[in-house]
Amino acid sequence: MNFFRKYSNQITGYIFITPAVLLISLFGIFPVFFGFYMSFHKWKVFKGRFLGFENYQRILGDISSFWIFVSGLLLLIFSYWIWSEYKDKIKNKIPLSIFSLLILFLGLFLINSSWAKMVSLGDDDFLYSIIYTFYYSFLTITSEVGFGLIIAFALYQKLKGKQFFQNILLLPYITPAVMGAAVFFIIFGKAENSLLNELIGLFGFDPQLWLFDKRPITEVLFGIKINGFLAGPSLALTSAIIYGIWSYTGYYAIILLAGLSIIPTDLYEAAKAEGASRWQTFIKITIPLLMPIIFFLLLTGFINTFQAFNHIYVMQTSSAGDTMDVVTVEIFDHFWDRVKFGYAAAEGVVLFILLNVLAISQFIFFRKRLNYD
Amino acid sequence: MTRIFNTETKLPYIILFLVTVFSIYPFFYMISTSFMTVGEATNQYLFPKKLIFENYFDVWISNNFQRYTLNSLIIASIVVSGILFTSIPAAYSFARIDFPFKNIIFYFLLISLMIPEIIMLLPHLLIIRGEIIPLPFGPSWMNSLKGLTIPFMGNIFVIFLLRQYFKKIPKELWDAARMDGATHFYFLYKVVIPLSLPIIVTVSLFSFILAWNAFAWPLMILTKDDWFPVTVSIYGFIREVGPNFNLLMAACVISILPILVLYFFTQRLFLESISNFGLKE
Repeated sequence: MNFFRKYSNQITGYIFITPAVLLISLFGIFPVFFGFYMSFHKWKVFKGRFLGFENYQRILGDISSFWIFVSGLLLLIFSYWIWSEYKDKIKNKIPLSIFSLLILFLGLFLINSSWAKMVSLGDDDFLYSIIYTFYYSFLTITSEVGFGLIIAFALYQKLKGKQFFQNILLLPYITPAVMGAAVFFIIFGKAENSLLNELIGLFGFDPQLWLFDKRPITEVLFGIKINGFLAGPSLALTSAIIYGIWSYTGYYAIILLAGLSIIPTDLYEAAKAEGASRWQTFIKITIPLLMPIIFFLLLTGFINTFQAFNHIYVMQTSSAGDTMDVVTVEIFDHFWDRVKFGYAAAEGVVLFILLNVLAISQFIFFRKRLNYD
Repeated sequence: MTRIFNTETKLPYIILFLVTVFSIYPFFYMISTSFMTVGEATNQYLFPKKLIFENYFDVWISNNFQRYTLNSLIIASIVVSGILFTSIPAAYSFARIDFPFKNIIFYFLLISLMIPEIIMLLPHLLIIRGEIIPLPFGPSWMNSLKGLTIPFMGNIFVIFLLRQYFKKIPKELWDAARMDGATHFYFLYKVVIPLSLPIIVTVSLFSFILAWNAFAWPLMILTKDDWFPVTVSIYGFIREVGPNFNLLMAACVISILPILVLYFFTQRLFLESISNFGLKE
């Protein structure tokens, strides 16, 4: 009895956390380790024989190339880190900038050469899906934050009905992705008389097939055929990107508006007294002061959009071919439709490693807290 | 009017007007099409000539959306209650009770935030089938409410948000309560929860929407439509309806409505919480 009285605080503490700890360990943390375990086996519905690294070998073609690829990514981060760490401490910036540029180019070179080797030996479907995901994430997040910035700046002015506009902006954000995608599936359908096709007709464009078109965007827009990375996403994937922009731009606008209101107003008054135009204040004061927040949103948003699944999966069409198969869709297809559990688990591990490289960069960029003094 | 539209604010208003149109147009399209005949819907008219309410009856009764909407409501409510039931005591404990290894356990749980959902799905499936550990309440949780809800009842992000809030409650309150012989449980139930209602409502809302959105997981574990939530039904419906867009859109309106109603009553809370958490996350 004495024991219970003495430690009653600790016992209560442990009892209170037990349900959460059990659930999160089982469903939140254990799956990663189990995913690793599965990836080393032949596993179709039931566990088969031990394969070692064979799944990885088949996905990546050459495992050492993958590590070279990852170190290339890390070098890119490292070059930024060197630059940001020492630029204020050193007077003569030329050697520093040459050095960080050299590291940058070395990183790009490693990424490029190891990628070429992986594509020639590995699973093209998976490796291309990483490129599609990159298109998707990069284009979505930059447009979301870019448009969000413009909208936030518009909302920052003294306007009537500000509350109303903010509430409207969040509507797409709360809309469940499957239902939103169902609507976009029709708006971006192949009907020639659709409103969207008539709208672009006003600007002199021909009707497009949108989600049913697997031609790359550069070919659709300019009629030139490019192969490889620079060709850009297919028109189908671009439609999915537009959905992404629709659903999240308002969310980023609200966050950026909160960021704008932290900036002290006397800075603006000083600029006004100096006779700066509104455009000049925006470029010279607002953007630089918001830069940490913008950068933070870009990076976290990139990590999040890299995992986008629901709306892309819903908007897939067979005529778009595999051009909409982003990484998550590819993994889901492998274990769900083709029942290759071990292989899908290995793909998941590769995705996990890539996302963690991004998370490392996030950690490095934001060691110093955002502040305004 | 001239005061509103002076040269200073003309551009912001134009921008906001365009954004409003862009944001609302899909909703307008959805609602408008849901009242059309098949012909009008296929020709993508802007407005229906006559409002056809039968689309809603069709979808609600013949296509069984009454069942799916109810399913989604049940699933989301159970998930939210489960999350609150596990998270409130845990957050309280992490915020206000001292016990060994507290921080280590907390950081260990935070790892789960870094793991992409798609990686979890596969091991979850094997757990739910009972292939990894023996499950309580039956050999397999496939095709059941247990399988749909229990895996999502622990959420470290919710615990994190609640913990921040609970930490701000003054220590003097606990000291006074302890003088009167109150236990932690009593104090949590009578003092902490009433004081923290705003944050509890906020996390409930976000969890509800998250649960309503769940798609890949129910798609995987449900082979019969007994427990289909609206998301999975809509996904199947897209392939099934063919050119009957009017029915699809009516189904979408029905499935979004609960979320929109919820949003309508809690707009301010939403706006505040996004402005606050967005930067910290």
